[in-house]
Amino acid sequence: MNLSETGVIAEDELLRGPKIKYLLSISGIFVFLCLLLIHYSTSLLSLFPFENGVNIPHYLISYLLVLVLAPFVVMVASYDFISNEMETGSIRYVISKIDRTSFILGKFLALFIVFTFVVSVIAVMGSIYAYFSGNALHIGETVLFWILSSLYLGCFVSIFLFISTLSENNKTSFLMSIVFIIILLFLFLQGYDNYLKYLTPYFYGIENIGIFRGSSHNVEFIKLLKNIFTMILYTTLFLSMSLSAIKRRDL
Amino acid sequence: MIPDIISTKGLSKRYGSQFVLNDVSLNVKNEDIYGFLGQNGAGKTTTIKLLSGLLIPTNGEIIIDGMDMNNESRKIKKIIGLVPQDSSFYDNRDALSHMIYYGRLKGLTKKDASEQSNALLNKIGLKQAKDKTVGHFSHGMKKRLGIAQALLNNPRVLILDEPTNGLDPVGIRQIRELLRELNNDGITIFISSHNLLEIQEICNRVGIIDRGDMILEDSIDQIRHLESNGVITVGVYNLTPEIINLVGSLEFVVKTELKSKDILDVFVNYEEDAKPEINKLIVESGGRVFKLIENSLSLEDAFFNATKIRD
Repeated sequence: MNLSETGVIAEDELLRGPKIKYLLSISGIFVFLCLLLIHYSTSLLSLFPFENGVNIPHYLISYLLVLVLAPFVVMVASYDFISNEMETGSIRYVISKIDRTSFILGKFLALFIVFTFVVSVIAVMGSIYAYFSGNALHIGETVLFWILSSLYLGCFVSIFLFISTLSENNKTSFLMSIVFIIILLFLFLQGYDNYLKYLTPYFYGIENIGIFRGSSHNVEFIKLLKNIFTMILYTTLFLSMSLSAIKRRDL
Repeated sequence: MIPDIISTKGLSKRYGSQFVLNDVSLNVKNEDIYGFLGQNGAGKTTTIKLLSGLLIPTNGEIIIDGMDMNNESRKIKKIIGLVPQDSSFYDNRDALSHMIYYGRLKGLTKKDASEQSNALLNKIGLKQAKDKTVGHFSHGMKKRLGIAQALLNNPRVLILDEPTNGLDPVGIRQIRELLRELNNDGITIFISSHNLLEIQEICNRVGIIDRGDMILEDSIDQIRHLESNGVITVGVYNLTPEIINLVGSLEFVVKTELKSKDILDVFVNYEEDAKPEINKLIVESGGRVFKLIENSLSLEDAFFNATKIRD
């Protein structure tokens, strides 16, 4: 791995990448949706069993949206990140100049930065909204929302990047991504007693939901750290599999 | 002795159970213009992809400038420039931004990448089109951009996969002249093509690959002679059957063919001294030689001879 090469790939993807406008558009829609839900969170309160009725849990609403909808946004954004370069052949110009590892890491970094930025916008806007609607600022909650959402989305970025690396073309990558996300959902829905749920990022995302229920004193820090660590491990595992796959691939 | 800048030993590539490249060993000397010849599907592109690190060999080793591709591929990639067969650029971006991006990947700073990119686009004749999106480029312009990006950061070796494919005669000539110019600047050029005339025009050494096997590698002149079973046309006053038989009995003569009453075609295996030997024999036998021409074969003939033997 070469940091400078990784940086050039990520920077180029962020500033001039063919998908960046599209990526920002769907991210923009997602942010707007989150803000809309934050705005109507008071009306939506009755839908959730909150532990206190004093603070409106703005972040819970956004976090739920991140948990449920964002994996699909990530999928749409990243399924063709590598496979498109394979399909068009543009990858040959790049790989003939740099290490394959740098290429994958650069692509991952670009996507991760985009989604971390999206989550940051939601977090900041949520804080501002909460402040102006007369609620106290919860910096800790904001930071946790940012970290947990970013890591959760990082898991999905690494999953879809791996699928994209394996695929010969965009169509295959899209189909494989859909099948994979259905499998993840299926495994997660197997029930609480089933060990298969541990194989899905959904499980670790939902495990953290209590933090945003407006009762931060109930946060189990060991569990929180365990979940953060697992999500990092999850991302690292899929990223390693992508690196291993690209190293063996004929381009 | 000129050192090899590219050498492969026992290079093989297999897809499933089928070998597309089988035990290929080639040697490209420093500052060569090396032509890599073969029919469609012979294994030219596979070899080029292996040399540039796009494919993983099944067996064998690739040494470029003394470095092993298995262990030092990153360093190797910094000294080679690849022009792939298909010009697959990002259609929504302009030529200059492509060049700067590739330059930075080659390790140049933004400023250096920008300066070199402008200079190379100028050199390659794309100065006017540098801000135009590549999606609007013609095939020839894309080919030229392909060469320009390969020249970033002054590579020591330029590897081109059929660079003139689909170009008009003017474009072909421009690229040929450019390659000569680059070679004069000290860049080793490895060019694959099935255009034999083009290879004959610019290359000094040639390798011929056929169905995954390297069947010949030498200087162009040597290959033309080696594969020629060359024909020497001899004009002799008072040409007698005895003289014809004597010439036919020479060790290096394959056969003789009487073209007219005083013109004889002598088919020879390549031999440095063939002409003087034949001349001496005829004169000693009482013949008077008025014409002695060696018709060396074209590279095209040599190529077909070499590949025909394997059929």
